[in-house]
Amino acid sequence: MPVEGPSIGFDFSNYARNQFLGERMNGLPRATSTGTTIVGLKFGGGDTGEEEGICLGADTRATGGPIVADKNCEKIHYLAPHMRCCGAGTAADTEFVTNLISSNLELHAYSQGRPARVVTAMTMLKQYLFRYQGQVGAYLVLGGVDSTGAHLFTIHAHGSTDKLPYVTMGSGSMAAMAVFESSFKQHMTRKDAIDLVARAIRSGIFNDLGSGSNVDVSVITKNGTEMMRNYETPNERGIKSRNYKFRRGTTAWTKESIRSLIVSEEVKMTTGAGKTQDGVLDVPVPIGKGPGGEEGMDVDA
Amino acid sequence: MEYNGGSVVAMIGKDCVAIASDLRLGQQSVGVAMNFEKVFPVNDKLYYGLPGLATDVYTLREQLRFRVNMYRMKEEREITPKTFTHLLSSTLYEKRFGPYFLEPVVAGLTTPTELEPKPKPFISTMDTIGCITTPKDFAVAGTAQDKLYGMAEGLWEPDLEPEDLFETISQTLLNAVDRDALSGWGAIVHVITHDKVITRQLRSRMD
Amino acid sequence: MNAVLQSLQPPARHTNEDEEDAWGYGNLDQRGGVRGMMVPRVPDPAAFLNLHTDSISSNPAAKIKLAHGTTTLAFRFKGGIIVAVDSRATAGSYIASGTVKKVIEINPYLLGTMAGGAADCQYWETYLGMQCRLHELRNKERISVAAASKILSNIVYQYKGMGLSMGTMICGWDKTGPALFYVDSDGSRLKGDLFSVGSGSTFAYGVLDQGYSYDLSDEEAQELGRRSIIAAGHRDAFSGNTCNLFHVRENGWEFIANYDVNELWYEYEAKKKAGASQAQAQKDEGMAVE
Repeated sequence: MPVEGPSIGFDFSNYARNQFLGERMNGLPRATSTGTTIVGLKFGGGDTGEEEGICLGADTRATGGPIVADKNCEKIHYLAPHMRCCGAGTAADTEFVTNLISSNLELHAYSQGRPARVVTAMTMLKQYLFRYQGQVGAYLVLGGVDSTGAHLFTIHAHGSTDKLPYVTMGSGSMAAMAVFESSFKQHMTRKDAIDLVARAIRSGIFNDLGSGSNVDVSVITKNGTEMMRNYETPNERGIKSRNYKFRRGTTAWTKESIRSLIVSEEVKMTTGAGKTQDGVLDVPVPIGKGPGGEEGMDVDA
Repeated sequence: MEYNGGSVVAMIGKDCVAIASDLRLGQQSVGVAMNFEKVFPVNDKLYYGLPGLATDVYTLREQLRFRVNMYRMKEEREITPKTFTHLLSSTLYEKRFGPYFLEPVVAGLTTPTELEPKPKPFISTMDTIGCITTPKDFAVAGTAQDKLYGMAEGLWEPDLEPEDLFETISQTLLNAVDRDALSGWGAIVHVITHDKVITRQLRSRMD
Repeated sequence: MNAVLQSLQPPARHTNEDEEDAWGYGNLDQRGGVRGMMVPRVPDPAAFLNLHTDSISSNPAAKIKLAHGTTTLAFRFKGGIIVAVDSRATAGSYIASGTVKKVIEINPYLLGTMAGGAADCQYWETYLGMQCRLHELRNKERISVAAASKILSNIVYQYKGMGLSMGTMICGWDKTGPALFYVDSDGSRLKGDLFSVGSGSTFAYGVLDQGYSYDLSDEEAQELGRRSIIAAGHRDAFSGNTCNLFHVRENGWEFIANYDVNELWYEYEAKKKAGASQAQAQKDEGMAVE
């Protein structure tokens, strides 16, 4: 396939090779995954007078096998001004799927002349994921507010969806759901909603090994979206009381090359064109003696 | 990954970044070359490392050279570390179901512009299918990844001057690689500052 | 007849509970086997071990990674036997230790080398030491290297297919002079003048073969052993760190020294460079004379 060919979408050209390599070696390399706690709930509405909205929450740990690959990653992805999406599963997939759908939603909004609805985003995501039969490993919590109200969905990698008032996903979903099941109430205030979401995420952070670090919260109402990045940081790193700064010259090296990036400019005075210059011999070439002259090249008369 | 071996580490310092790699190219247990550099320049202040399968190192390097040159011609400016990271990420994700066996590490300084007058030193790393992480301290990848994490987590501290950063990144790499059978056989370090790039080959264990 | 047949049977596959009260020397059973040596309580212990350990390298995905990778060598020459080994232990690609003693001192006249499973070698060669001592007590003379190596060979053959992994050289000096045997867990037992065992053995053989002769002096032989281990330590990812050198003579073995592979490698490189520039200088001189 040419490097910049006309084809779009995925390129399977290395698939067979990798399968072979995987059989011969210690398996295929592990992709970064978000062993995750993500949650969402609906608040307000009813006859409480409280504004209807969606509150989303996520932890911030990304893992690669047993290693914490990122201690403070962002799992609440932007979809549209009034829509956010939490992602669990294969990190690259959640990132690229939400980016792609975000892009398509914006185009959709332009073509229809109105903000896209949350169901539209949900349908686009589920149709995309269903097409890849679960191979694109994105598990999502989608929330947003549109002209028809506040909506909250979960979307699984195989393409199934749910519409519920409170949801959790990821490896920490059980821990978080335990909190929701015991404390969720219909038509909560905004503050109570944020508190409950943060508590659910904390439950995931402390009880699930795949989740950890900080709490991210996002609140969406028809008046706007508020993203509260690192709303809580219950795992602040301790301060090192000593340091391991090495004395300069500790490391032995054999070769050095320094590339200076400073462009030095210098103005050199020379005599102008046409004037004689020192050290330049002015030898006139007779006609017919120049290049091609010997062979008697025809010069147009 | 374990077929050819090799590791890369990048670190942020005070107005500088450093990126270092080992120099081993192996075929499983057998070492075949001790001059296999895994870190390449994109422009004056942007370098990236590609630890992993050697055949993919070459393929992806050429692919990126093409794409960066196209960017340069279309935009008539140098690519920034952040944009390059996203370019690299999309290039990797294109092969989501038949990935390159590489875990790239990017390190660079952004030239100040009117929109961004005080850019911070930048490093990033990706998994094989292009999931970006942009740490504020250090990034590690390769067969010695676990060991590099351990070393870097202990040795790194904020705001190191270029020469101190050189010592820290060198000791991190050297000591991590000494606990990894598939990395080592020499090491090279690049320290990128706003007015120069210092490249040094380290004296390391050769077994 | 039945009794004879029974004594030729391999040990029971599960436990030797019925032999608990059988008598023997120390912890040995009637047939000289080790009492209470357990094998996994599953229908097929060999398959079980194969699935969960990488002891026979057939299953790289196995969860339990045993220490692996080695270069060991030993050769016979007119001054005795040189035994040289590296000191690296790896689990997967992780270098678990750089200071492993891969030469097992069985007794003052016998050395065993270690390749494959570290625990297997250590246990069975120590056990071999016990058997050799018993031989001395019973027969009032030192055991021959041939007999000692055969004891080991017979033991490991009893456990064939059960996941034992060892490639060892039994070196010593007996009535016949210096003797060297290669014994492995497949049941091979070979007598020879020159062996190298382990993942780095091919590299060691490369150096060994081009420099070996029976008539080497003590210094030359020691240098050859050392150089071979350095070469293997350099090329092989699973060998290196340090080199332990032993010399077996008529009055028993002697530990020569422990060398850092890396330091020696740089020394050899410096010598190589010096040699090359000297040769170049001579060549230039020759041309100048012309």
